[in-house]
Amino acid sequence: MSNALRGTLAAVILAILAGAGWYAWTDRDGEAWTDSEIHLIRSLWIANLPPLPTGTGNAVADNRQAAEFGHRLFFDKRLSANGQISCASCHRPGHFFTDGRALGEGLDTVRRNTMSIVGAAYSPWLFWDGRKDSLWSQALSPLENPLEHGSTRMQLAHLVARDRHYRARYEALFGPLGDFSDPSRFPATAGPVGDKDLDEGWRSMSPGDREAVTRVFVNLGKAIAAYERLLLPGPARFDHYVQALVAGNREPAEILGRDERAGLRLFIGKAQCINCHNGPLLTNHEFHNIGLLSGPGSLPGKGRINAVQGVLDDPFNCRGDFSDIHPRECTELRFIRTGANLVGAHRTPSLRNAAKTAPYMHAGQLATLGEVIDHYDRAPAAMVGHNETQVLSLRRKEVRQLEAFLHTLSGPVAADPKWLRAPDPADR
Amino acid sequence: MRIMKAALLALCMYAGFAWAQGSPRLPDTGASRLTDEQHFAVRYTSHIDPIAINTMHAWTLHILDRSGKPVTEATVRVEGGMPDHDHGLPTRPRVTQNLGGGDYLLEGMKFHMGGRWQVTLLIKQGETSDRVTFDLDL
Repeated sequence: MSNALRGTLAAVILAILAGAGWYAWTDRDGEAWTDSEIHLIRSLWIANLPPLPTGTGNAVADNRQAAEFGHRLFFDKRLSANGQISCASCHRPGHFFTDGRALGEGLDTVRRNTMSIVGAAYSPWLFWDGRKDSLWSQALSPLENPLEHGSTRMQLAHLVARDRHYRARYEALFGPLGDFSDPSRFPATAGPVGDKDLDEGWRSMSPGDREAVTRVFVNLGKAIAAYERLLLPGPARFDHYVQALVAGNREPAEILGRDERAGLRLFIGKAQCINCHNGPLLTNHEFHNIGLLSGPGSLPGKGRINAVQGVLDDPFNCRGDFSDIHPRECTELRFIRTGANLVGAHRTPSLRNAAKTAPYMHAGQLATLGEVIDHYDRAPAAMVGHNETQVLSLRRKEVRQLEAFLHTLSGPVAADPKWLRAPDPADR
Repeated sequence: MRIMKAALLALCMYAGFAWAQGSPRLPDTGASRLTDEQHFAVRYTSHIDPIAINTMHAWTLHILDRSGKPVTEATVRVEGGMPDHDHGLPTRPRVTQNLGGGDYLLEGMKFHMGGRWQVTLLIKQGETSDRVTFDLDL
């Protein structure tokens, strides 16, 4: 062999070795999980989902009849100003109780992206800015929001009073409904909804009558919440993987592919997703500024900072007159925090079924998971407040792997199928 | 010879780097500590054990003075956060009850991320103020 040939061969071998070395250094796929990685992976496993929180101020939260009543209310379009909008109009069961739109569409376009209800019962705060502290209290807002259902509590009280099936269900749960038949005391529609006529009608009613009507309104929220508590996420492919891992199979490669496993490693490591997307629901239910642009044509949302006082003053909060528990038990409200780092902060959503619930972020600003990962990768400066996240410097391959992993979090809703469709009209 | 020296230097540098990387200072996760100026000894007992993230819970603080006697009339303020992430606690915990005998009920404790946390208690009894920081690795 000539010297030149020998030299070329050596160079080729060196190049191959260097390439292999680089690959091994940068790609840990095939390596077994370390104990600390397994600890983190297990922490995301759906089997570790605790029992549903109690102490939400809803005495019928786990009452089956309340859930059945709430199921009917959830799908009932009569709970709107024009008879066309139900909770299920935006929270569509086939879309994991989201609507696939950037912004919700009720009577008009809503300012926020529709959040999923699946697993929402675990969150101490509801809405993107956490301005509600229970499912039942949250359910009341869209009913009276002129952009959503546009209904009023007076209209809803009449509906329950006049529909004999609803009336029977209501009274079985909450006791006698009261008599709203005197039109001089109870107008057809009225409520404190920010509309001149409707507000005036509401103010013209006696305090006692207003209280009686509001009580009915609240109880409808509590029934809807009882139904929503049944909508929980079921095991995804990721969970089957963890189950096999925990059973002692150190690398159950047949369940997650190579890129998906690499994505999982990024999720709990370099990409730092697990910092906020932690626990079996892949959310810490807290508020973070991640440097999002505002929605098209709108000012940047102030987020949590603007919601703190609102939830403290909300008559439908945990320690208000309509709550069924002692104010002392309202620990989230008692120890609520405010501060500059909540400017522009929004609630961390669950990543379960993320791949099926595009678009993303509080105003649906990001259309695809790829855009979401790219956003975190760049960590742009925030328009308001301070972006908590840092530049990740992901390689293109890593972006792809992370996205592949997010797809493994899709699973069914773990509820009897009857809860996932409108109730049978024959079964009143 | 020069090459040998350079190689030796490189080896030493590598060894030093590896040593520094391999032995980070472990955080002190002890639940009993002296305050910075040693005016008080403080022990905390979490009402959930182990402490889980995203879970509201309470601590009992036990405070002794320099001579080992319970400190019964202290006021305690709480601060905390994740030094590596530059953010505070998600809640505003506070002492809600003086349980007597140097014990205090601290409610509203919550940690919303895994990792290294610090909780600082600022303790004041009469004219004496001091502080103690606990490290937690969750």
